[in-house]
Amino acid sequence: MNIPERTLLRRLFLPYDITSMAPATRVLVYTILVLWLLVVLFPLYWLFITSFKLPVQVNDGPDFLPFIDFEPSMHAWRYIFVDLGNDTLRPYINSVIVAFCATIVCVLVGSFAAYALVRIQYRVKIGNVLAFLVFLGLTVFTVTSLGVPLFAAAPVAIILFFFFVAAVGRYFQRALGNDDILFWIISNRILPPVVVVLPVYLMFQRVGLLDTHIALIATYTAVNLPIVVWLMRDFFAGIPLDLEESAQIDGASRLRIFFTIVLPLARPGLAATSLLILILAWNEYLLALFISTADAQTMPMLVAAQNATRGPQWWYMSVLIVIMIAPIVLTAALLQRHIARGLLVGAIKG
Amino acid sequence: MRVRMIDVRKSFGKNEVVKNLSLDVADGEFLVLLGESGCGKTTALRMVAGLETVSGGTIEIGDQDVTNVLPKYRNVAMVFQSYALYPHMTVARNIGYPLKLRGTPAAELDAAVYAAAEKVHLEDLLHRYPRQLSGGQRQRVALARAMVRTPSAFLMDEPLSNLDAKLRIAMRVELKRLQSELGVTTIYVTHDQVEAMTLAHRVAVMDEGVLQQVAPPKEIYDDPANLFVARFIGAPAMNIVRGRVENGSFAVREGTVPLGSVAARGDVYLGFRPEDAALAPVEEAMLRARIYSTEMTGNETIVTCDMNGEQVVIRADKDYEGALDAAVGIELDPGKARLFDCDSGNRIRR
Repeated sequence: MNIPERTLLRRLFLPYDITSMAPATRVLVYTILVLWLLVVLFPLYWLFITSFKLPVQVNDGPDFLPFIDFEPSMHAWRYIFVDLGNDTLRPYINSVIVAFCATIVCVLVGSFAAYALVRIQYRVKIGNVLAFLVFLGLTVFTVTSLGVPLFAAAPVAIILFFFFVAAVGRYFQRALGNDDILFWIISNRILPPVVVVLPVYLMFQRVGLLDTHIALIATYTAVNLPIVVWLMRDFFAGIPLDLEESAQIDGASRLRIFFTIVLPLARPGLAATSLLILILAWNEYLLALFISTADAQTMPMLVAAQNATRGPQWWYMSVLIVIMIAPIVLTAALLQRHIARGLLVGAIKG
Repeated sequence: MRVRMIDVRKSFGKNEVVKNLSLDVADGEFLVLLGESGCGKTTALRMVAGLETVSGGTIEIGDQDVTNVLPKYRNVAMVFQSYALYPHMTVARNIGYPLKLRGTPAAELDAAVYAAAEKVHLEDLLHRYPRQLSGGQRQRVALARAMVRTPSAFLMDEPLSNLDAKLRIAMRVELKRLQSELGVTTIYVTHDQVEAMTLAHRVAVMDEGVLQQVAPPKEIYDDPANLFVARFIGAPAMNIVRGRVENGSFAVREGTVPLGSVAARGDVYLGFRPEDAALAPVEEAMLRARIYSTEMTGNETIVTCDMNGEQVVIRADKDYEGALDAAVGIELDPGKARLFDCDSGNRIRR
């Protein structure tokens, strides 16, 4: 046999076993990680100290050490909390209400859809879909061109559509399956939201819901629903059917199975998805810009507003951003222990 | 309760997996559905449970037609091959789940859970999670969950097949005891003929969706209705030799076996169990063969003989020593030999 001599170089670069790193590799890897950590954390640190700087200190250049480079001041915090007071608090509460409500509704509705797409096999006949579109077009035509009132045209169209499906539907062969439905759902998200901003604005204007929580919650739910469906579907698909069948025989209804078996087992996915949606809804700017003006204004609006006629107010912005990221960091910390895997161990087999 | 399947059929698309199955399981009976994988036995069981709709026929539990009744209303208990324990619930909550769904008061539920756990010796593990249990313990949780209420019937789908050999034998004994104590009608699916023979009051053998024979274990072994059952039951399996019936005896090139009064006919199969034959000196034996191999198992020696290309297995004394390729004679008990029709495979009764 030809076993190579254990020279210093080999000892530094060869791992002892497959599960550990070689000493030199370890030093290298941790150095890179620490550097990356600095890259990630430094902006947060900068933000934090900027919130304690006077405008003159901010414009002074890069001073990073409080009490040494500059004397910390509470002026920005006082302005935001005392001078602005309710004008800070209102967007803050708006953001909390809108983001958390949208997340809860979105994850709940999206989970229902994802579960259905995993467990129930749908066969949507293409002919029926086309027929629906035709009847929809006819309804629009009769309402707009012939002046028939909508409340008369719509029921007639719906009834005719069902007659049509009952009579002709079974002769259609080509059908869409669950994967097609899923792709259609995700394709809704491929479209950038900016495309629908104006229709959404007009819609809420028409029903008088502009600048309300409901409008924002509804919009954020609709926009983020595809992500929830897409993500949760994989988590639900990983749950063994045996468990649900067993629960069914034990006497549980479908809803009961969903809430007592499926959702608890999808907890890691639920936590991760909720966090993602929360962040998306919390940071959303574009739609909020159109839908909310004053009463329902959210935090991103307020932060952006600090870049006003007087030039960017970095110190106020920093305070707002610090308090804005706090709830998300807190929620992430609370949820992260649920994102642990391995929940299904022990479900089946030995 | 009595469970009846009347002319039950099941097709998946064009593939008919259960064909005109009629079974009448008496109250308190232990019926084992035996067959190779893919023979339709599990599908039959799942139809009784209500997890699978039927394509035709009727299923009755007690005096009620449950053919189109949801599983939750059938009041059957099922043990899955995978155990299907709810991994996010403790043992106690797993066992109590069926009762909780029925709104059983807490005190009553706790007592019932403890009683069920006691029956399977789990009372010390009630606060553990399934992932903290061994395979055998998980299996017992699944059993306890089935026994915690009083079901119309137990349905068991290969409940022991994930256990190691030793544990499987121990659980078999336990299961038989529990079933007779509780007196609940049991339908048990397995591919393991030893399990079937040891547990069952009656064994139902299935092949390719067709019920082959339903009879007590002894009758299945001694009086197989056709070639499939004859070949399937017994280890080593029944020897099948092709030959002709002439002059009241079974004739092959290697000799003749006198059968007494039997009508002459063309090609038939003669079947005899390895223990119903003995090795004898070549000159005076009914059949001549060569030794192909010998296997000493401890209490006996399994001798495989070659009869003109067909293998015949004989149980011999543990001290038997025969050289490979040595010529031997086979003497068999004509009263215990069975004749089968060559075309249909059915038994020819004498």
